[in-house]
Amino acid sequence: MAGWSGNVLDIDLNSQTFTTYPLDREMARQFIGGRGLGARLLWDMVGPEVDPLSPANVLIFTNGPLTATGYQTSNRFSVTTKSPLTGTVLDANSGGFWGMQFKKAGYDVMIVRGRAEKPIWIEIKNDEITFHDASELWGLRVFALTEKLGQNNNRRNVLCIGPAGENLSRLASIMNDRERALARGGPGAVMGSKNLKAIVVEGKDRPKIEDPERFKFLLYETRKLLAASPLTSQALPEFGTVVLMNIMNNIGALATRNHQQTQFEGAEAISGEELTEKYLVRNASCWACPIGCTRISKTGKVEGEGPEFETTWALGAQCGIDDLPAIIEANALCNDLGMDTISVGSTIACAMELSEKGYLDSDLRFGRADQLASVIEAMAYRKDIGADLADGSLRLATKYGHPELSMTAKGMEMPAYDPRGLQGQGLLYATSNRGGCHMRGNMIGLEVLGLPKLIDRFQVQGKSSFVILNQNSSAAIDSLVICKFTNMGVADEYFARVLSAVTGIQYATGEMIKVGERVWNLERLYNNREGFTSKDDTLPPRLLTEAPGDGPSQGWVSHLEPMLKEYYRTRGWDQNGVPTKQKLTELGLVNLLN
Amino acid sequence: MCASKRKKANIMPVVKLYASLRKFAGTKELSMAGGTVRAVVSELARQKPAIGEIVLEKDRLAPHVIVTLNGHNITDLDAPVVEQDVVAIFPPIAGG
Repeated sequence: MAGWSGNVLDIDLNSQTFTTYPLDREMARQFIGGRGLGARLLWDMVGPEVDPLSPANVLIFTNGPLTATGYQTSNRFSVTTKSPLTGTVLDANSGGFWGMQFKKAGYDVMIVRGRAEKPIWIEIKNDEITFHDASELWGLRVFALTEKLGQNNNRRNVLCIGPAGENLSRLASIMNDRERALARGGPGAVMGSKNLKAIVVEGKDRPKIEDPERFKFLLYETRKLLAASPLTSQALPEFGTVVLMNIMNNIGALATRNHQQTQFEGAEAISGEELTEKYLVRNASCWACPIGCTRISKTGKVEGEGPEFETTWALGAQCGIDDLPAIIEANALCNDLGMDTISVGSTIACAMELSEKGYLDSDLRFGRADQLASVIEAMAYRKDIGADLADGSLRLATKYGHPELSMTAKGMEMPAYDPRGLQGQGLLYATSNRGGCHMRGNMIGLEVLGLPKLIDRFQVQGKSSFVILNQNSSAAIDSLVICKFTNMGVADEYFARVLSAVTGIQYATGEMIKVGERVWNLERLYNNREGFTSKDDTLPPRLLTEAPGDGPSQGWVSHLEPMLKEYYRTRGWDQNGVPTKQKLTELGLVNLLN
Repeated sequence: MCASKRKKANIMPVVKLYASLRKFAGTKELSMAGGTVRAVVSELARQKPAIGEIVLEKDRLAPHVIVTLNGHNITDLDAPVVEQDVVAIFPPIAGG
């Protein structure tokens, strides 16, 4: 096989043994890699009877046929599992260097099953797999552990969990290369439940490319396209993702104080402009990335990657906090403890509202930057009030009798974009297969930034087609796996040409979107099998009934119901949100129902 | 909007600038004369040619440039503005 290495590494932690076997070629052609391949494998391995934190759940690490080829942003990889936060299918993907190294070790897929009796870590050097005792590493935080295990960006890469994963926080991420994260949905808790502290990889093989001359030309052309786009050549490197803070606030779509408002008076103080002017040390980039959106920022206490826009929002506006140094430090703390910053921030915000309204006996209050670090620590170690917050806002708010104050979709905390001022984004959150998420499609390009063309953000009718196209495109890119920012300079169809040159399999124009649609429908089938129904395709009541009293989104709520009906119809699903047999036949998925 | 407010004379709406535009203007915010968004943006481009090069392309907004009027995206540059209005201008930006 070209592109794919053709090998699956299958690890059983119960016995601390492994096997290798060939990757199913037809499955790889249909689902490519990353998220798609992970979802297809999870379908066969983890059914509704499996508790996400039991040994029967699996971690499936996947890369894609472009990974480590040197194609722009071909550094990413995925983990797929059943989410302990939502109970849905979960994939999370990350950049950095580890994914490239894992591919160079000779594998497309690594399945981790069972549970080790005592803490262990795994070292992979191509076909040499070693299980090490991790008893003395258990308890170490991410930065110290990463250094101890010999992180070296281009030679040896560390993936691990921090204390949050060890303590089975459902907000725990898996970290790689020190500060990159497989962040959302609690994959770190699954790894912790398996007593697996770290996976270190060293690889020496570059993947085979079927048509090197053609590939070389496409590399050259992509470089030109990314350089010509003002988004990938200027906007992202100059201000990073947090440049979105001011515009989202300007249009009245920046969720504030647990979505009680849609504008934050402190937005300027936590903006990309402020970060760049006062705290930016330098830019950085993942392997083979010419964009370089990563910010290295510094305060008097910490220096490190980030914070990204969503993090700055979650620990900032969502908590009513306008203290940027405190946010930078809280971001570093979450990375060191191994926690998802979006869910952490939004869960703290939920606790602040519960406390202010007298439903929760705590001193947490909106705007209290001084409380951030201590509550994050408490969450990672399940201490004091942290024990209540460690499993996310829905479990917290439900325990205290007010689940409606959890700003989640399917149990996952939503990102910054308030759906009342962005109708399409609301539909996207409600239908996202892993819950409230902006990485399973994102309507901000269309509804705010005019990428590729501006559409009316308040319009309801006709939105579903845009959302579906966005979701399918996102699933395709996550299956390649490359960075979505590449897509700002290079169109979806172009990736079919790259994939064809690398693998030798001819992917026609439009086939990438078809792959994305296949993946989306498979994930939907998985969730349906888990018991999710159309009733779960919803948003918190606040967003459906409480209109902002001022600002540009004044008077608007999310008009989800009509959009949802249109969405099901356009997807080729029945009125209950179940993919029809006809649709599954068209996508080559119908045999999964047998 | 009542007709009397559309008079162009002495109308100075607030113009807010973001991202790289600030370094070319040397400020985050200024007042700019003009009775329409087009007039405001054109006056800004005349006073700050470096911003004009980013924002305008043949008398139209350059690709990916975002202009909002009181928080609403503008597609029609001839939209009228009044004294209290806020025109916000963003160069091409992206994120997620």
